[in-house]
Amino acid sequence: MSKDVLVIGGGIAGIQASLDLAEMGIHVYLVESLPSIGGKMAQLDKTFPTNDCAI
Amino acid sequence: MLDVGRHPDIDLMAYSEVEKVEGESGAFKATIRRKARYVEEDRCTGCGACKEKCPTVLPDAFNMGLGTRKAIYSWFAQGIPSTHTIDPAHCRQLNGKKCGICQKVCQANAVNFDQKDRIVELDVGAIVVASGYKVFDPSQIPEYQYRQIPNVITAIEFERLLSASGPTAGHLHRPSDLLVEAEMEALEKDVKKSEKALDKFEQKYGQASAAFYDAYQKGAYEGDEDRGKWAEKYVAHLALVEPLDALKREAEGFDVAKRLAFVQCVGSRDFRFYPFCSGYCCMHSIKEAIIANEHERETTSVIFGMDIRAVGKGFEEYKIRGGNQSGITYVRGRVAEITEGPQRNPVVTYEDTRERKVISRDFDLVILATACAPSEGVERLAEILGIERNRFGFFKTGTSQSLDTTRPGIFACGCAHGPMDIPESVAQASGAAARAAQIVTAASMRKAS
Ligand SMILES: Cc1cc2nc3c(=O)[nH]c(=O)nc-3n(C[C@H](O)[C@H](O)[C@H](O)COP(=O)(O)OP(=O)(O)OC[C@H]3O[C@@H](n4cnc5c(N)ncnc54)[C@H](O)[C@@H]3O)c2cc1C
Ligand code: SF4
Repeated sequence: MSKDVLVIGGGIAGIQASLDLAEMGIHVYLVESLPSIGGKMAQLDKTFPTNDCAI
Repeated sequence: MLDVGRHPDIDLMAYSEVEKVEGESGAFKATIRRKARYVEEDRCTGCGACKEKCPTVLPDAFNMGLGTRKAIYSWFAQGIPSTHTIDPAHCRQLNGKKCGICQKVCQANAVNFDQKDRIVELDVGAIVVASGYKVFDPSQIPEYQYRQIPNVITAIEFERLLSASGPTAGHLHRPSDLLVEAEMEALEKDVKKSEKALDKFEQKYGQASAAFYDAYQKGAYEGDEDRGKWAEKYVAHLALVEPLDALKREAEGFDVAKRLAFVQCVGSRDFRFYPFCSGYCCMHSIKEAIIANEHERETTSVIFGMDIRAVGKGFEEYKIRGGNQSGITYVRGRVAEITEGPQRNPVVTYEDTRERKVISRDFDLVILATACAPSEGVERLAEILGIERNRFGFFKTGTSQSLDTTRPGIFACGCAHGPMDIPESVAQASGAAARAAQIVTAASMRKAS
C-alpha cells in the first residue's frame, strides 16, 4: 500500500489536483511531458470571464 | 504554477513520460522516463545566454509556429521549471556536427551532452489523469483553407498574437505581412553579402559597380575574366535588390488587422468530426474580440455562429457587454466557405439566416474557433494505464461517479475526459484529488491501526 499519488499532466487541472493533494499532506508526483508545466492555459493571453492574465 | 515548483510535497517531473503502470488501486507501481534535457536541472539558472548564441533556429511550438526559438530553449519565459532544454532532433552537436557553443557560453556549467534518460520507479496508491486536449486541426475542413490562406488562423494562434510576450509583442500583424517581412529579412541578408563582394571589386578597380556594368555591357572589357566575374556578381545582385524593393513597397501599405471574423464550431457540432459542443469556444471568441478591441479601439469583430453558448457564471453578461462596448456583431449563420480576395483579405461566405441571404464579406483576419480534440498520445496513455476511452477518444468516465475511469484507483479531470473550460477543470481537479485522497488516506489509516 502506498500513500502517494501520481498526477499525469501539468495543465491547470493537473496543477490544481497536485496542490489540493499536497495541501492535504499527501505526497504528489506530477509528471508533465513538455519541458514546463502550464498546459494550454499558459498559451492564453487572458481568460474569460474576468479577463485576468492567464499566468 | 510557482507554488507547484516550491511545494515540499510535490515532486515535479517535467519533460517526463509514464511508461508502465502495474498493480492495483492502493498499490500501483509506475515507471517514469525522465527524458534527457542535456542540461542539468539543478545547475541551470535560466539566464538564457545559451539560446542567444545557439545558431540553430526553429519554429517556436509554444507560439504555435508564429515565431522562432533555438535548439536550446525554454518552453516559455515564465515556465516552471525554468531550466532550459536541448532539442535532440535539431541540435548540431547531438547530430554529429561541430558546435557546442551553448556549453562554452554557459557560466553555470549546466550543459551536458552526455546526459541520458533516467528511469524512475514510483509506488503510488492512486493516479489522477489530467492530460488535457489537443486543438482540432482545421486543415481537415478543406472549404476553410486553413494553411492555404495565411490570414485564416486558429483561436490559439490568435491568443499568441494578442499576447504581449508573444511573437508580435501583442500587435495584430497579419500572418501574410509577417511572411513578407521574413522574406524581406532573408533577402536583406543576401543583399548585404552580395554588397560585400561587389565592394571588393569596386575598391580594386576604383569604380562604382553600376558605372562599370554600363561600360561592360558596351563591350569595354572583353576577355577580362576578373571583370567578367564582377559583372556576374552585379547581375546576381540586381536580381536580389529588385524583388526586395518590390517587397518594401508592398510593406509600406501594411497595417494591423482591424476587421476580424470569428468562425464558430470548427470541428464541433459537425457530424463529420465531433458532434458535441466544445463548450468554451463561443466564450473565447468573445474574449479575443474584446481584447483586440482594447488594443485598438476601432477594431470590429463579427462572430459567426449557429447560436452563442454563454452558459456559466457571468457569461451571458460578458457576451452582451462585448456587443455593446467592444464592437462585436453576432451573426446567426454557419460559414460555408472562406476564399482569398485582393490584398490577401480572407472572404467569408455564409448564409445569414435572419436576412435569408447568402452573403460574402471580406475581413483582415479570420479566426477559427476549433474543437476540443483528444490529446496527443492519448491512445498509448490509455494502453499504459489500462483504461478505456469513449467513442470520441477521450478517457471514459462514469455517469454517476463522473471522475472515475474504468480502472479502480485511476481518476480523470479536466479536458482529458471531455471539453470544458478552466473553472470547470479546476473544480473537477479538486474532485479528483479528493477521490484519490480517499484511497491513499484509507491506506495510511489501515497501516496506522
Ligand atoms: C484558444 C483557446 C482559448 C481558451 N480560452 C479560455 C479562457 O479564456 N477561459 C477558460 O476558462 N478556458 C479557456 N479555454 C479552455 C482551456 O484551455 C481549458 O479549459 C484548459 O486548458 C483545460 O486544462 P487541462 O489541464 O485539462 O488541459 P491542458 O491545458 O491541455 O493540460 C494538459 C497537460 O498535460 C500534458 N500531457 C498530455 N499528455 C501527457 C502525457 N501522456 N504525459 C504527461 N503529460 C501529458 C500536456 O503537455 C499539458 O501540459 C481556451 C481554449 C482555447 C483553445
Ligand atoms: S461553444 Fe460555441 S463554438 Fe464551441 S462548439 Fe459550442 S456552440 Fe460551437
